[in-house]
Amino acid sequence: MAFAPSGPEASFFEVLDQHRASLLATLRRGGGEPAGGGTRLASSSEVLASIENIIQDVITSLARNEAPAFTIDNRSSWENIKFEDSVGLHMISHCTTRKIKSDSPKSVKNFALILKILSTIYKLVQSNTYATKRDIYYTDSQLFGNQTVVDNIINDISCMLKVPRRSLHILSTSKGLIAGNLRYIEEDGTKVNCTCATAVPVSSNIQGIRNLITDAKFLLIVEKDATFQRLLDDNFCNKMSPCIMVTGKGVPDLNTRLLVKKLWDTFHIPVFSLVDADPHGIEIMCIYKYGSMAMSFEAHNLTVPAIRWLGLLPSDIKRLNIPKSTLIPMTKRDQMKLDSILKRPYVTCQPFWRKEMEIMGDSKMKAEIQALTFLSSDYLSRVYLPNKLKFGGWI
Amino acid sequence: MEKETAGKILTGSTILKYLIIHWKCETAEVSKGALLEGQLVISIEALNSKHQANTLHCVTTIASAGSIYGGLVLKKFLKEIQSILHGFSAKLNWTSEEASYSQDTSGVTPFQMIFEVDEKPKTLMTDCLIIKNFLHKIIIVLPKIRFNFSVKVNGIFSMEIFDAPKFGTTELLCSRIHPVLGHPVVLFIPDDVAGMGLLGELILTPAAALCPCPKVFSNQLNRISSISIFLYGPLGLPLILPSQEQPTAAIFKDTSYFIDWKKYHLCVVPNLDLNLDGDLVLPDVSYQVESSEGDQSQNMDPQGQTLLLFLFVDFHSRFPVQQMELWGVQTLLTTHLSAIFMESHSAVQDSIQITVGQVLEHHHQAVKAHQKLQASLSVAVNSIMSIMTGSTSSSFRKICLQTLQATDTQEFRTKLHKSFHETTQHRFLHHCSCEVKQQLLPERDDAEQSTEDAHENSSLELLAGTSGQVGNKRLKGSSLHQGVEETRAFRSAGALSPSEAARRRAEATVSPLTPSRSRTGPGSGLEDALWLQEVSNLSEWLSPGPRP
Repeated sequence: MAFAPSGPEASFFEVLDQHRASLLATLRRGGGEPAGGGTRLASSSEVLASIENIIQDVITSLARNEAPAFTIDNRSSWENIKFEDSVGLHMISHCTTRKIKSDSPKSVKNFALILKILSTIYKLVQSNTYATKRDIYYTDSQLFGNQTVVDNIINDISCMLKVPRRSLHILSTSKGLIAGNLRYIEEDGTKVNCTCATAVPVSSNIQGIRNLITDAKFLLIVEKDATFQRLLDDNFCNKMSPCIMVTGKGVPDLNTRLLVKKLWDTFHIPVFSLVDADPHGIEIMCIYKYGSMAMSFEAHNLTVPAIRWLGLLPSDIKRLNIPKSTLIPMTKRDQMKLDSILKRPYVTCQPFWRKEMEIMGDSKMKAEIQALTFLSSDYLSRVYLPNKLKFGGWI
Repeated sequence: MEKETAGKILTGSTILKYLIIHWKCETAEVSKGALLEGQLVISIEALNSKHQANTLHCVTTIASAGSIYGGLVLKKFLKEIQSILHGFSAKLNWTSEEASYSQDTSGVTPFQMIFEVDEKPKTLMTDCLIIKNFLHKIIIVLPKIRFNFSVKVNGIFSMEIFDAPKFGTTELLCSRIHPVLGHPVVLFIPDDVAGMGLLGELILTPAAALCPCPKVFSNQLNRISSISIFLYGPLGLPLILPSQEQPTAAIFKDTSYFIDWKKYHLCVVPNLDLNLDGDLVLPDVSYQVESSEGDQSQNMDPQGQTLLLFLFVDFHSRFPVQQMELWGVQTLLTTHLSAIFMESHSAVQDSIQITVGQVLEHHHQAVKAHQKLQASLSVAVNSIMSIMTGSTSSSFRKICLQTLQATDTQEFRTKLHKSFHETTQHRFLHHCSCEVKQQLLPERDDAEQSTEDAHENSSLELLAGTSGQVGNKRLKGSSLHQGVEETRAFRSAGALSPSEAARRRAEATVSPLTPSRSRTGPGSGLEDALWLQEVSNLSEWLSPGPRP
């Protein structure tokens, strides 16, 4: 199927093509994609057997008159996380653990809730049905108390069984959007074409997507929905065709991250991020690139270390003479977050990023992408991004 | 309570009271803070009177047995007691072995007091019960005194021992109560009472606790089913004898006079069904808690818990307090406590209310924690059952059944529930506020734990009776005889070991939520030391006042 003829001339993408070649060369030198660690896709029978083993262990403990307990990896502890340039943040093999005891007043409820959710997962897998985390919460909202409890337990179970959440038949609600030069078929046979004028919601079942087809020269990750919509309105995907752009509307959900990872794994096209020039935007970019602490046990399935920072760079602010009146003073919280990011292990191997963050820290000012509209209303899609892409303005 | 006619035998209790006052004061002179320690023998031998029909001639002997620690100066005591009992018509004989009198603190001359009275059999029986009750109440506060109480009526002999048993492996993890000490309040003395020459202050200190410890019955939803109030005067002497007219207790007839029970959603009524002739220590005031409608919907323990309220009225003076003065205070309180409490109604009410509130709050928290545990275990069991019964793997189901030795899923569920309860209850007992014991004992192996569990179970039986029970050992001479019913021992199933009851009292100095002090080291020997230390604090707390 041919895509609508639009977009710049082929020469526009020279630098991009070179960049892609470089990425592919790096991949070949590195022996391809790093072997998946942590979680792995598991079949339904494997998941059921794993859960039954857990139940057997519980019953055996009881038979020995011992209070059963679950041993859970400390997912969100820095001591259990290491950084690898090719993977990002991921859990170490022998990490510290904590016990969820059934005979402790503090943890007995948690112990029971883990069993409760295990039994829910068991039924879902057995019946080959799916549910979101929200659905599970609402099965007994009074018992669970709040969504966070459910989310944490599901992640703990995923880590404990060493299977991704999707193998547990638990879907995360997608909030991301995708648009551009891409089409695919969902697991249920639905054909999706992202070249529509309006964006397509990110699928809830990334694992089930097949027949991905694209000619895109690059994938642009946009931090905010407002910026994404602005680009849609400016017909950016056609002007820069062929390309794909995606937004997680802030901190990305699991499916959006999975989709970005899948697109990278499938096509190895350059991936760029367009975030605000503030610590929060940088952190969101790092989540796509290197992963999050909470999901470090699934890092191999989620991270795209090849992502490059396209904009808005703090150095762009001065370079473009963006009016100071459009800048926002950094708050104490911003400063703390920036300092925290600068201490993270992955910044060490990104000297240019470090430099940009230092510029931001020195100026004590931050800027949103929308600051570019002070130059002209369509500056972003007409000037800024095309120049960045044409001349390799990424780091 | 059935009105009992006080007999002359009860003079023995007067003698005992003064003996303890005297003994305590003299001991404090020798060694401040030292506990009264020793054994007293009280024996009553009754034979049919030769001069009166349906009358028993009773010879009552109060004597020391073995050495008595402390500074009991017999000569001084005898002089003072005679002045107290100058109106007593009975024949009194006093003997002592002065030859072996020693000034050192290692022992005191054995002594003996004998008096003879004539009593009706029924009166004698009542008096014996009253004395027993009195002795029970004493050793709650003075655990190192041991009483041998024997009665021989026309040849039929029975004896009971009131003491604190030995410590050892029979001691239980949490067969104790956790008293909450209230804030002491100074009692205002009414004008007419003040004119009686009281040169000091009366201080009321309430202490409250739940019995049994809520954590022991963590598998049952406990409700407060009764309230028992015990009144003590200076030096921990019981204030009220059941036989007396109870002007003091009159103020407690109004259940809400000192405590607003509605604040705790308790409907309290006076318990008029008090029987001295029972197996239980009779509290001075007893209330029953009536069930509310809300309670009936839950699976409540029908027996419930008892709220114990100890009201200690102590005497403090800037001047040296003499024994006679203390005796005067004791007497004054016995007759005028009601008026004194009424004079300080507001302060007394606040102090008691706060104390009771704390205990009931703890109870409420314990019930909530228990409910949370029950709910969690129920979720755990149901989840496991869901997986087990829904599994298509016959081998998995078979293994589950075999592991718990169940023949079907119904039995499996029952055993699963039981197993969870057993493992969690044991551990939850370790979390009891008796943290001293936790610190004493290192991790035990299963064998020891099984032993302790067994002892815990027996302690649960021991605690099954009403509160305030004090155990005693009973040696039975023969069967029942005419006139006097055999004094019955406490139900072994219902009796507390005296050490437990005494320890309850001693723990009045310990906050239920925090250990009083940290101790290390295992073994029952250290428990003894711990117990002594606890009780010594109590002794100081009950001291009669500053000495010159």
